[in-house]
Amino acid sequence: MASKKIREIVIAVLVLLVTTTDSAWALQSHGAPEGVYVHQIAHLLFAGALIYLYWHTRRTPTLAGRGWKYLQTFCIIFACWNIVALAGHEAFSFLSAEDFIDKNSWNERIAGPLNFTKVLYFITKMDHLLFVPAMLALVISLRTLYADAAREEQK
Amino acid sequence: MISLPLLPAVIIDFSGSAIAIVLSFMALRYSRLLARLQPNNFIWGFLFYFCIAMAAFSLSRGVGHIVRILLLFSDHNEMWKQLSPLSGGSNTMLMISAAAVTIYYHKGLDAYKALRTEAEKLAEANAKLQASAGQLQELNALLEQKVEERTRNLSESEKKFRNFFENSKDIIYFCDKDGFITSINTSGRKLLGLKKPVNSVTFYDLFAATEDRKKYVAELQSKGFVSDLEMECRLEDGSTRHILLSANTISDRHGKMTGCEGIGKDMTRLKTITEQLINHEKMASVGQMAAGVAHEINTPLGIILGYTQLLMDDFEPESEMHTNLTVVERQAKACRRIVADLLRFSRQSESIKTSVDLNRVIEEVLSVTEHTLGIHQITVIRDFADELSPVFGDAEKLRQIFINLINNAQYAMSEGGKIIIATREDDDGVHFSVTDTGTGIPAEIKNRIFDPFFTTKDVGKGTGLGLSVTYGIVQEHGGTVGMESPAAHSDASGTSGPGSTFHITLPAFPPGTAFKEDM
Repeated sequence: MASKKIREIVIAVLVLLVTTTDSAWALQSHGAPEGVYVHQIAHLLFAGALIYLYWHTRRTPTLAGRGWKYLQTFCIIFACWNIVALAGHEAFSFLSAEDFIDKNSWNERIAGPLNFTKVLYFITKMDHLLFVPAMLALVISLRTLYADAAREEQK
Repeated sequence: MISLPLLPAVIIDFSGSAIAIVLSFMALRYSRLLARLQPNNFIWGFLFYFCIAMAAFSLSRGVGHIVRILLLFSDHNEMWKQLSPLSGGSNTMLMISAAAVTIYYHKGLDAYKALRTEAEKLAEANAKLQASAGQLQELNALLEQKVEERTRNLSESEKKFRNFFENSKDIIYFCDKDGFITSINTSGRKLLGLKKPVNSVTFYDLFAATEDRKKYVAELQSKGFVSDLEMECRLEDGSTRHILLSANTISDRHGKMTGCEGIGKDMTRLKTITEQLINHEKMASVGQMAAGVAHEINTPLGIILGYTQLLMDDFEPESEMHTNLTVVERQAKACRRIVADLLRFSRQSESIKTSVDLNRVIEEVLSVTEHTLGIHQITVIRDFADELSPVFGDAEKLRQIFINLINNAQYAMSEGGKIIIATREDDDGVHFSVTDTGTGIPAEIKNRIFDPFFTTKDVGKGTGLGLSVTYGIVQEHGGTVGMESPAAHSDASGTSGPGSTFHITLPAFPPGTAFKEDM
């Protein structure tokens, strides 16, 4: 009985929407900043996911060992990288073409006078100093886990 | 004005992107090895998918950065402007993918843990089941071994008792509660002369004497067993056997009798031998006594006869005294005949033994007696062996045997009948038999017929020494004498009596055989 009523209501709403509205709202256009926002949100989501993974592996007794320690290290560093990247993107959004000298050349420089935003952008521009160690920690972690598992299998 | 050169950042960006791609693929390789090593481990599966997302992200981002540097620094700004959103978009998408894989990891892990717990429980249960199955298998094997061993023992035991049952020379039988024989061994069937199916025969019917049967049933019912019961058993052919019987009842678990089992020993031969031994001993002692009496009487009797004959000479033959003395002489002579018979019975009389042809002796006797027998309507049937070995004996005494037996046969057939005289020879010696169709000999006097002075004749018609003398003569000749009544070939028509047969066996004395003194 209940499902029948719900079906009737759904059909009635659809009929009203199709027959009574002035303009169609089926599609929504997206402006240019939306991609940046999504990207920034993705960084936050990714950082949150990595912190969650760190937290979960720490509190799970069965996931103890050197390999998991490296994985937790990766999580922390990579979460930090996400924050750095997010900060870098934000800092860049505050900069204009005048803030750069010889843009898109080997002599490209950040023009003075230097402020927090410019320095922050300069530092975050070298985010690979976090990205690469994080990936290295991931490689060591997996190699260690594989070695342990292989040793266990041999037993 | 201080400015910051971005070249170091560009170099780090360029090289870092390349290194990150390499490292991400190394991580992917190890995660793949892990997943292959333990395919059922969810965590390795998760790490593999996470590494795929990371590799894709590193590749997308690294390539994007490298391409950006190369395009911008080679003055291809427009191209990068077109590629930039694509690179950024894919980076965003791959970051979200990696994040999504990570976020959903715990759900998968929980499911994996639950599955693993269940699997461990299942494995534990399986191990227990296997252990139980192993124990059960061991028990089963042990049981099979025990069953096999016990079956073998049972089979051996069954074989042993079956052999005992079948090979026993005694009667072993089983009956139901109504006395019907359910099982009996071969010897039992043979000894009891059972020709019909055994389960149609009741053991009770085999008892010749009702008293014995009643005693058997009563003892079984009251005591539950019968021990050493002597039974006379009547066989289907009319003959009898003496059985020494021991039996037990078979009861169900409520103690109710369901049948009985028993063993019977054939005592017929032992009983016959015992009776013969007793008879022999009796006859020997009677003979000894008779010999003593005869010797003691013989001398005064001779004197009486002598003086009587002397006195007779003193009187006139026609005188009364002479007549009286004649009576005394006749009676004295009668006494002497009796004494002579007694001496013959006790084997005290002298014998003149020669090789004697029994057929001829019988013919000599018949030539004298056959006329008288004919008067009494008695027919003599001769059934002589053609070639009969002679016997070593006193012809006169052997003649006496036949005279006695023929006289007895004649007495038993006052209304006439047949006398069958047969001779034959086998390894045991020379046999001859005298069969009549007369009244037969009652069972109760069978044991006494050879006793001296035992007679069924009227007073004055016989001395009761005929068969005693026969017995003595046969014994003296090393032979045996036996009697059968009713006769084996008695007339079934009922027109004549049951008759009786006297069997006599004497040692054969083939021509050329040396005479032995002890014969």
